[in-house]
Amino acid sequence: MNLNRRSVLRGIGAAGLSASMPGVFAPAIAQSKPVRIGILAPRSGAMGTVGECGIRAVQWAADRMNKDGGIAGRPVELVFEEETSPKDTIERFRRLVLQEKVDCVQGLISTGVSMGVAPVAEEEQALLIMWDGTTQDGVKEAMPDARYVFRSTDNECEAVMSSLLSVKYFGNKIKRVAGINPDYSYGRNNWEAFRQILTRAGVQYEVVAEQWPKVGTMDLTSHIAALKAAKPDFIFSSMLFADLPVFMKQGSAAGLFEGVNLALPAAGWQLNQLKKSFMPENIVFGHNTLYFALPDASPLQKAFVEDYMERYQQAPHWEADRAYFALAAYKAGTEAAAKATGRWPKLDEIIDAIPRQEVQSLGGPGRFRADKIAEQVFYQGLSTNDNAYDFPTLRTVNAYTADQLQKPPGMDFWEWLKTAKLPV
Amino acid sequence: MSMYVDMILGGVFHAAVVFLVAAGLQLVFGVQKIVNLACGSFYALGAYFGITAVAGAAAMGLPSVVVLPVLLAAGLAIGLIGLPVERLLRTVYRRDESHQLLLTFGLLLVFQDVMRFLWGPTPLTLDNAYLAYGTAEFAGVRVPTYNLLVIAASIAIAAGLGLFLQRTRTGRIIRATAENREMSEGLGVNSNRVFAAVFTVGCMLGTVGGALVVPASAASLEMSVELVVEAFAVVVIGGLGSMRGAMAGALIVGLIRAVAIMVLPEAEILSIYVVVIAVLILRPAGLFGKAMA
Repeated sequence: MNLNRRSVLRGIGAAGLSASMPGVFAPAIAQSKPVRIGILAPRSGAMGTVGECGIRAVQWAADRMNKDGGIAGRPVELVFEEETSPKDTIERFRRLVLQEKVDCVQGLISTGVSMGVAPVAEEEQALLIMWDGTTQDGVKEAMPDARYVFRSTDNECEAVMSSLLSVKYFGNKIKRVAGINPDYSYGRNNWEAFRQILTRAGVQYEVVAEQWPKVGTMDLTSHIAALKAAKPDFIFSSMLFADLPVFMKQGSAAGLFEGVNLALPAAGWQLNQLKKSFMPENIVFGHNTLYFALPDASPLQKAFVEDYMERYQQAPHWEADRAYFALAAYKAGTEAAAKATGRWPKLDEIIDAIPRQEVQSLGGPGRFRADKIAEQVFYQGLSTNDNAYDFPTLRTVNAYTADQLQKPPGMDFWEWLKTAKLPV
Repeated sequence: MSMYVDMILGGVFHAAVVFLVAAGLQLVFGVQKIVNLACGSFYALGAYFGITAVAGAAAMGLPSVVVLPVLLAAGLAIGLIGLPVERLLRTVYRRDESHQLLLTFGLLLVFQDVMRFLWGPTPLTLDNAYLAYGTAEFAGVRVPTYNLLVIAASIAIAAGLGLFLQRTRTGRIIRATAENREMSEGLGVNSNRVFAAVFTVGCMLGTVGGALVVPASAASLEMSVELVVEAFAVVVIGGLGSMRGAMAGALIVGLIRAVAIMVLPEAEILSIYVVVIAVLILRPAGLFGKAMA
């Protein structure tokens, strides 16, 4: 359908905003012209559910902002395009910038796609704030001096946190470790980080199996047979797409998880698909930057989760937070620059202002570092099935900030892992 | 020992599903001489329709043990889509093979968007149906009973298809048409009807395969393209147009994959295509195919 592929959904009701309350800056710089935000997000395929959650959240965020005066008095208008292959997404990025003339492009989840789009953003001098994309070549930052590109937290944060919690909760019980991770740099680096952290913590373990299914493999029976044959007592898996529920379902039916502990650093992305009937308890379960049932959640998170669950009958996951954070960071930077200049700020002024802002996002406070890489709060813990939902929640909630989990600017990740003061 | 049983069962389960799609491909090529790239779409269509049918059955209050018959019925029902598709293919029967390939590939893309429109872009799963039949002990190994049922269903379908083609009058007519269309038409066979029936049965094999696999996995838009590649590996190994070849090829692909995953996981894909290349070089017609002039 054309509607899904290349649709331009001008969704957010700028209409009615004229009647809404004036914002803080409205008297000086209010304009009727909307702030146009291009959104590039996957709507199909393995990342379809993920992109969908982000899109819902950014629409919610824009609605809320518009009711509250928009961005520095101007209404927000979203222009949607789909994130697919790097080549096609670059074309759509250019279209958003050159034809739609958006003020800022946000979105992107796949690092493979982000790596292609980021240099184009620099070339076009167009502001790009990524949801979940990075410009990491493996674990190495490929664009340390980017001017126009704001990136998400490093890909390895969730694996570092899961590894630390595995040590914290299971420590020396871990003897025979197996890994089943997606066969690309994310999976490979997460697995290596897990092993290095176990070693650094002094855990005496041996690796009994390594499995590398390609993303989207939906028949994992042979992988599960190989894992069973290795008789692990701990399984680490950073699978994160639709293949994760399939793995858990097939593994549970085959008896793979009996007497085995697990760490699933990115399970939160598939939260709604991970049904209790095949999910063992006490998994180190990663929710990344949004845990929907956080006991002491902010009023903002509570309002969002309530609206989301009522409307979609599902729990939101961290992509919602990333999408909200990107828009909130742009708003904060723009309004700060507007306040400083007393007029609608120029692009360079907005770019300079964004890293100085502390933003209250859905999952908690966050900011961009000076090198334009995000720092947010991560949530993981041990899972339980004792709840009112049909999927697991957290029995214990651990929260670490990204500065505890990701390498500082300019540092090699593996060197940092060897020397960093880790929270466990 | 249990390690090998687990490995073999995993390979045979995979083979059981791939066989159904490859058998559909073989049947259609054997009789109609069309390489149907859209066979992967039928597989995906079966998976999506299976989810809808099971959801419908659940809404009607039917117990979870009816999952398998519901999925079989759903696969057969949606397989009837083969009838209108075959009507469309008639326009290219006598044209160059490249036209046929392009049309069936076009159909594959069209079906992908139709499924996106009907079921949405995100993968769908049947959450608990996989465990509806519990687990069984097989040679000391715990196996999901559903896997064994799928293997049994696939064997039963293969046997039924073989008996139908070999022992029934319609089967003989189909084989005669496959052998020499003009001669069979000269003897009064309505080849249009035969083609419609054969294409629909081929389509049903794919849709039933998709419907059967979905409780264990997920329905996604990508599954059509992914499986068609693997089905072609089966066909190359087994020999184009041969049903025995489809069975042997599926078993070879399933077992090689299972062994590779156990021994050298990085070689999962490589191992299959090494065999494909070896067959193409050493026995281009495949293990059971007839050499073409």
